[in-house]
Amino acid sequence: MSIFCLGVNHKTAPVEIRERLAFVESAIPRHLDEIRDLEAVEEAVVLSTCNRVEIYGAADQPGEALDRLAEYLISHFEVNDGDVEFYRHEEEAAAHHLFEVASGLDSMVLGETEIFGQIKKAYSTAQRNGATSRRMNKLFQQSFSVGKIVRSSTRIQQGSTSIGSAAVDLAEKIFGQLEGCRVLVIGAGEMGRVTAQSLKSRGAKSIAVSNRSFDKAEALADELEGKAVPFEAWADMLDQVDIVISSTGAPGLIVKKIDVAKALKRRRGHSLFFIDIAVPRDIESDVNDLDNVYLYNIDQLQRIADAGVAQRQKQIEICRGVIQEFLKEKGIEALVSVPVDHPERGSGSDSQPS
Amino acid sequence: MDKIYLILATVIFLGGFVLAVVALRTGKHGTGKLNVGLAVAGLFFQCLFLKERGDLHLRCPITNGAEVFVFISWSIVILYLALGRAFRLSLLGVFSMPLVFVFQSIAIISLLINDPGARPPETLDPWLELHAAMSLLAYGAFGLAGIAGVMDLILDRQIKSHKPGRLFYSLPPMKYLYDAMQRLIVIGCGLLTIGIVSAFFMDYHPTALHWMVTGTVWLVYVAILVLNLLRGLRPKALSKLSIAAFTFALIALSVL
Repeated sequence: MSIFCLGVNHKTAPVEIRERLAFVESAIPRHLDEIRDLEAVEEAVVLSTCNRVEIYGAADQPGEALDRLAEYLISHFEVNDGDVEFYRHEEEAAAHHLFEVASGLDSMVLGETEIFGQIKKAYSTAQRNGATSRRMNKLFQQSFSVGKIVRSSTRIQQGSTSIGSAAVDLAEKIFGQLEGCRVLVIGAGEMGRVTAQSLKSRGAKSIAVSNRSFDKAEALADELEGKAVPFEAWADMLDQVDIVISSTGAPGLIVKKIDVAKALKRRRGHSLFFIDIAVPRDIESDVNDLDNVYLYNIDQLQRIADAGVAQRQKQIEICRGVIQEFLKEKGIEALVSVPVDHPERGSGSDSQPS
Repeated sequence: MDKIYLILATVIFLGGFVLAVVALRTGKHGTGKLNVGLAVAGLFFQCLFLKERGDLHLRCPITNGAEVFVFISWSIVILYLALGRAFRLSLLGVFSMPLVFVFQSIAIISLLINDPGARPPETLDPWLELHAAMSLLAYGAFGLAGIAGVMDLILDRQIKSHKPGRLFYSLPPMKYLYDAMQRLIVIGCGLLTIGIVSAFFMDYHPTALHWMVTGTVWLVYVAILVLNLLRGLRPKALSKLSIAAFTFALIALSVL
């Protein structure tokens, strides 16, 4: 009895193909039944996300099972045979692939963690519907362990990969947790909105929005569950906030060093972080020379994001080494040498997702 | 045997530092527990050294400069192990290791060149023991505050320069470092106050120079606290003051 994997992902298939192959979440239990009714397929887990559609399974004859499965997907989703090329992995290669996926090595944003939850959910659905037995249970349990080990023992998650995450990482380096942080957004542009949302998702306490058009400020403030501030009053708020995001379309400078220096006197040593994502820039660059004040513009944030991506790329081999070590230690034999005479189907309750 | 224990402790601390640097450079994580383990192992041998010296002198082993350096090192390690995690400053240990290594290396060299040998007291004075132990524990806290200050200045420089290096992602947030500096100075002042108060009850009467030096160190740190309380020192200023004050405290100690 062997394990196998068949699928497409963002590297092997364009979005037009992926969206056609995507499983509707509510229909996955029915698909699992149909897949297991295919000749040779014993166990199955369907992992369907925006970047990948993969089916993991166990079969006595994996080659045959992979053929049946490919035919099923092509006919069911009405894809032309020549339009899609599935990758196929068997035994250790299948396990290795799942472990890489769980570790975020196969993700579009290298090292991202969302995939880990998506795998857990896919496994849980399959298990609930009796589509897994010992092999899939063991394989997926191990993938959760590997995912955790890789993330905790390497730097695959370290570094920012976007302007928004670079801004949030910097804010966390200055203020620690962002729960108590107050944010002022000057301008109601898209980049400002995205960055403010990133900060909010990490716990920023309150968000104030100031814009020349008060209506736009109110609209964005509503969206961010914050409050709108008249444009003439933003400078008065400098001693009440910790992070200032500026993204106006103004042709000249909005925030000047002299205004910040005045506000600093009232701040009792509290740090102030400026994020200038406007082009042309809104904030005088000399502001960064003030003690306890940190200013980043869009290029500087982009450079950090680029460096973060490069840093994560460098970690891939280290992560693969960890996975290889895990496989060597645990042995793929453990996954494939389960006796075949135990009840195979509908016995997915011998293990719970971790 | 005492010197062997001290050498072992020193080698372990050096090993911990090298391991942390290698981990930071290669990007291999997960050495945090190993580092704590090495700190505990180093502490164990420090304790053995201090016990041997205590048995030799029949009192708290702070009878010469070498022992004072080892006692301060012991204070730094024990305070790091006790407070590092609570202050969310696991990397504080890594930064402490070089200082501990230097202090203990000085102690080893000094003892190998000239070990003054046993100096048992004529009568055991618990107030003297309390005074010396509390004062040096306070130095440990001040030392850690200085180390936190160094970490804060490194992070400040990295953020200001817009070029976050390898250390950027490993260093704790500036807010935690700032909080840790304040707390460590408060702890240090508390311990030093106990040390000074206990000196009033000692049979042995310290010299005027001793009172002046200790009092000045105490005043410097209290002034930092008062200034921070009244005016709210900026993190960078507090970092610089923590480093300067500890340097001054070490110079003051060498005068004694």
